[in-house]
Amino acid sequence: MDGDVVLVVDDEPQIRRVVRNALTAENARVVEAATARDAIDLAAAQRPALIILDLGLPDSPGIDVCREIRTWSSAPIIVLSARHSDQEKVALLDAGADDYITKPFSPGELQARVRAQLRRSRLAPAASANQVITIGALVIDPVKPSLKKSDAPVHLTKTEWELLRTLLRHSGRTLTHQQLFRSVWGNSAGDMQSYLRVHIRSLRRKIEADPVRPTLIVTEPGVGYRFEHEP
Amino acid sequence: MSESRRPRKPHVGLPEWLGWFVLLGAVTWGMTTIRPRLNEAHVTLAYLLIVQGGSARGGRPLGLALAAVAFVCFDLFFLPPFGTLTLQDPLNWLVLVAFLATSVLSAQLLYRAHGEAAIARERAAEIDKLAALGAETLNVGRAEEALTAIVSVIRSSLRVDECDVFLIDSGTRIARALRDSPELQPDRRLVDWVATEGRSAIEDLDGRLHADASADLLIQSNAGLQHARAFARPLRVRDRTVGVLRIGSARGLELTPAQIRVLDALSYYAALGIERVRLAGEAQRAITLQEAHKAKDAVLASVSHDLRTPLTTIKGLAHEIAQSGDDRAAVIEEEADRLNVFVAQMLDLSRIAAGTAVPDIQPNEAEDLLGAAAQQVSGRLGGRELRIEVSNEEPLLFGRFDFAQTLRAVVNLIDNAAKYSPANEPIDLAARRDGPWLVFSVADRGAGVPMPERERIFEPFYRRSGSPDVGGTGLGLSIALGIAVAQGGRLDLDDRAGGGSVFSLRVPGIATADLQRPTELPAGERESSSL
Repeated sequence: MDGDVVLVVDDEPQIRRVVRNALTAENARVVEAATARDAIDLAAAQRPALIILDLGLPDSPGIDVCREIRTWSSAPIIVLSARHSDQEKVALLDAGADDYITKPFSPGELQARVRAQLRRSRLAPAASANQVITIGALVIDPVKPSLKKSDAPVHLTKTEWELLRTLLRHSGRTLTHQQLFRSVWGNSAGDMQSYLRVHIRSLRRKIEADPVRPTLIVTEPGVGYRFEHEP
Repeated sequence: MSESRRPRKPHVGLPEWLGWFVLLGAVTWGMTTIRPRLNEAHVTLAYLLIVQGGSARGGRPLGLALAAVAFVCFDLFFLPPFGTLTLQDPLNWLVLVAFLATSVLSAQLLYRAHGEAAIARERAAEIDKLAALGAETLNVGRAEEALTAIVSVIRSSLRVDECDVFLIDSGTRIARALRDSPELQPDRRLVDWVATEGRSAIEDLDGRLHADASADLLIQSNAGLQHARAFARPLRVRDRTVGVLRIGSARGLELTPAQIRVLDALSYYAALGIERVRLAGEAQRAITLQEAHKAKDAVLASVSHDLRTPLTTIKGLAHEIAQSGDDRAAVIEEEADRLNVFVAQMLDLSRIAAGTAVPDIQPNEAEDLLGAAAQQVSGRLGGRELRIEVSNEEPLLFGRFDFAQTLRAVVNLIDNAAKYSPANEPIDLAARRDGPWLVFSVADRGAGVPMPERERIFEPFYRRSGSPDVGGTGLGLSIALGIAVAQGGRLDLDDRAGGGSVFSLRVPGIATADLQRPTELPAGERESSSL
């Protein structure tokens, strides 16, 4: 994250200090805000590459800040939350947050999340969805489309391809069940929860080295799924 | 007709009696003036009218007295020879006796009809009173006021000096008394005995107690109650003694059968009244408890929330220091994590206990959960092997459960297995179908749990006897159990074949037939929709 501007929004100076130390250790340039008002002004003025946003701001609910910034900025937003319910996390992701991290977090965990988000935002979305991706013994060509596992072709159904493309396009970002379902099945009615789980399971069986311990399609309990891989 | 059913005597004074005899004399005089034109039938009818009129107005004694005097007058003035009690014609005896018999009989019949009417009126009054009392009991706002009202109604309708109701709390202890005889202190031995035994007892005027099976009968039959100073009887609701009713009178108790009937009915009202007091109390306690739970939950949630910010700072700074080479800082970081886990588990348990952790139940797939569980514990199992067994074949293992909560329960079970089994033994995690259930099982090769501890290990803060200090909060299993139950499931502990324990978490399964398979997308490339 060399030279990247990261906006840190938290009303607690101690938390800002921990976050600043963790990010400057990775050579990011940190700007800080303590209120929602300052956060929005700074985000507009400094055009940060990434925003770390605490939800417990004194002047405005974090989710509103998230929504407002998202209307004109595509910079990744990582939300810091004290204990929030799964429904609240889903609402945050639906409001445009890219990831959340629960207090108390370790600096290492924060650094990893920030790196992943910066990497993802640097790639052009179209490229990430259309590139041929090699992950271990797996070669995925989303355009052709074709999938090879240890050089042996693996057949994916149309639905599975659609699901995999959606996950790849948002690699590193947690997609809520709702977002995934909409993206694959559109607005069709049905038992969303079971459709999604049936296909996640079959996709895992085809692409994961050990489908019972998935490392590519990771479950975010009660929230959704995330595609994880370091290119 | 038994004496006890005697209706209340009509209060007829001397003037009325005199009046009837004057009327009898006047009619007799009148008839003597026209005696030649009268036969026996005319005289009989006139006298019968007077006797019946007297019976109706003045009751049986007046009727019988009038009949006797009329009998003599008949003989003296209307049956020859006149002026003597002798009879010329023996057949006239028949007339006289028939007249007397008819008079007495009619007096008797009138008396009986009068008595039955009086009883009917009395019964109707009783029913009215009970109905009114019932309505009153239900209407009174506070349960205790209703009971007080019943007690005073019993005292006034029985015309006794003392009437007390004693409430029994759980067990046989007298909790408190609702008394309508403030100046007297009743013999508590009597009441305590009744409360314990659930049977009636009588206290004699000379202070002796009759506490045996016959007391119930004595009260019911009203025999010998006039020598009773007081009696106490249990108040029951559905075969449970809820209170004791004590009736006392310094003069001795003399109750009519009607009063005993009233007492029976009122006792039942009193029992219901006590039950209502108890239920009202319980409802109030439940509300208080619920509020206390909510308050505790709010405090814990707030503490948990407020702890997170300083913990983040502590962890962050400790991490930085650890990187500069001081390994004591790593300990600080670990302890901060432990504190965080402890507070989070306290909050979980509190929410489960208060019923505020409402599960979000969805169709979920077992393998997904096992994978997430393995991922969560991977960092803390060290080098220990976690084996996962899931059947590869269709149908899919689906169940209805809250994914995040069930995951927490399974992770707690894995942590528990890791704590109580040797570090070189693998832990086995599996999912299978069992009838209507989807079962997640966690099996270890530990020492197992001895029978007496099987229940107790699910209690919060319980630590197994003789176990090494394994750290942790002692809450994991209680939380897992609470999560299972809240979702309509179960958590069982069994011995494992070959040694160790198996914890089985059951949640409602979904039959394959009920699980709609989504339709495949239509052929042809589909445009990716945007998020």
